[in-house]
Amino acid sequence: MSIIEARDLTKRYGGLVAVDHVQFTIEPGRIVGLVGPNGAGKTSILRAVLGLTRYEGRLRVLGREPLRERAALMRDASFIADVAVLPGWLRVDRAVDFVAGVHPRFRRDRARALLAKTRIPLARRIRELSKGMKAQVHLALAMAIDAQLLVLDEPTLGLDLLARRAFYDALVGDYMDETHTILVTTHQVEEVENLLTDVLLIDRGRIVLDASTESLGARYAEVVVGDARLAEARALRPFHERRTFGNTTLYFEDADREALAKFGEVRATSLADLFVAKLSGGAA
Amino acid sequence: MSRLLWLIRREIWEYRGAWIVPAAIGGLLVLAASFGHVEVDLAGVQPRSGALGGALLFGFGILFVLVMSVYEFWYLLDCLNADRRDRSILFWKSLPIGDAETVLSKLLTGLIVIPLIYFGAADLATLAIAFIVSLRARAWIGDALWHPDQWLQLQVLWLYLIATMAVWFLPVAGWLLLVSASVRRAATLWSILAPLAVLWAERTFLGTDRIARMLANRLFAGYPAAAFHDISGSFLEALGFPGTARALAPASAWRLITPLRFVETPATWIGAAVGAVLIGIAIRVRARSGEF
Repeated sequence: MSIIEARDLTKRYGGLVAVDHVQFTIEPGRIVGLVGPNGAGKTSILRAVLGLTRYEGRLRVLGREPLRERAALMRDASFIADVAVLPGWLRVDRAVDFVAGVHPRFRRDRARALLAKTRIPLARRIRELSKGMKAQVHLALAMAIDAQLLVLDEPTLGLDLLARRAFYDALVGDYMDETHTILVTTHQVEEVENLLTDVLLIDRGRIVLDASTESLGARYAEVVVGDARLAEARALRPFHERRTFGNTTLYFEDADREALAKFGEVRATSLADLFVAKLSGGAA
Repeated sequence: MSRLLWLIRREIWEYRGAWIVPAAIGGLLVLAASFGHVEVDLAGVQPRSGALGGALLFGFGILFVLVMSVYEFWYLLDCLNADRRDRSILFWKSLPIGDAETVLSKLLTGLIVIPLIYFGAADLATLAIAFIVSLRARAWIGDALWHPDQWLQLQVLWLYLIATMAVWFLPVAGWLLLVSASVRRAATLWSILAPLAVLWAERTFLGTDRIARMLANRLFAGYPAAAFHDISGSFLEALGFPGTARALAPASAWRLITPLRFVETPATWIGAAVGAVLIGIAIRVRARSGEF
């Protein structure tokens, strides 16, 4: 069974179409990045997946219809929506107690162990913690839930570099294995690039790229060309180009590698460059 | 069941005022009883009479109930609103707790749990005060405060009050929860201005004031009329209006309450039904409030 299956998923806010007949499937054990610029529809898709909002089309998450079965779904899925949504008045130890009290899949000892690795004082209220600590508390709570699906919505937004690194290190080191599926949205692409097994690139409510990260290296390539041979290289039909220091970087999709190699070193395109190239349209 | 207890515990963690306020009132009353000095014109009152003791206990009870009503109003209006203001609703919604469960736990906290806390605080405070007052004013109060029957009556009165108020004010609670779940800010204004707008519209366009009278009945006169024998005289005197203290304390709580009439009053159940509908809508609104 697929973890998430979306067919013609559409979300409108009044006349505005935020998500436009989107199709995608997420299989178990994958770490999928839902990547796109602000306002692309990432959060709308996540809210629909989590049963927080109405939608049109067909959507199944762990075989359930999210909006109608949110409470049941949350036994097998957990999510961190944004940093700093833990209530400020709640004490850290009581947050652990409460989740242990209401969540059948929550392992208190695991949460305690994860928190023990940090320097977070358990008797403090959430509002007294730094932003990075809040994110760590939330991650510890989410990781202690034995869920099949973990959804992260911009989980490190506004955190400093150290806190972001600590967050993803904990995620990779203590959580990821083949039994867990992760769906993460972010626009800090560089940060999650090495984590992801799959990428869903979304722009203006539509999916513009749906691929595994391994396949990206084979499909996309870039080559730096001097002005003298630019016209010649352009004949190979790059889908995007970028001027840098008297040279031009050309981006190719499914191009003949040998033909490209004549112009210089052919490199795999990073996710961040692909993001920019795909989203800023044709040859600039 | 234990899930419900966790949800209620959560409410008490968040709304610490639920126990701090009654504890503070109780503490202040005990302090006043310990160190205060009151001159009361007791002409016409039998010293050491049961009526005097009863009046004292009854008066304290009324004070607790008045503060409690204000706190409950505020709690019900805030409880589905606070987590939307600070976005922590996204955390609560990441847990396997149904929206109906959430709303009902808050309703239960507002209508039953918080009143029980006030009841406990009032009981403890009056016990302490009775002890202190009977030591300090032995001369004229004697053992007037120590009638087991009177204490039992007080317990019955409180529990009766909590149960009947929960039913009678269910539509009010439902309305407050609905406003709390619906609006982003200015919940207090909405909760008051929206009904006022309806009243104004009725008066302007229909020239009648039936809704106004219905609301007034629900909020003020209706409840004591349905649940108690006429005690308006006692209320007035408790507030310091002239008269003798004789009428202050009912000879017996059993003669004061009218459970049968309360159950037989159609308005009781019409109100409860309206309340149930409003709560149902509040649950629906809550289920869709991930959109922002």
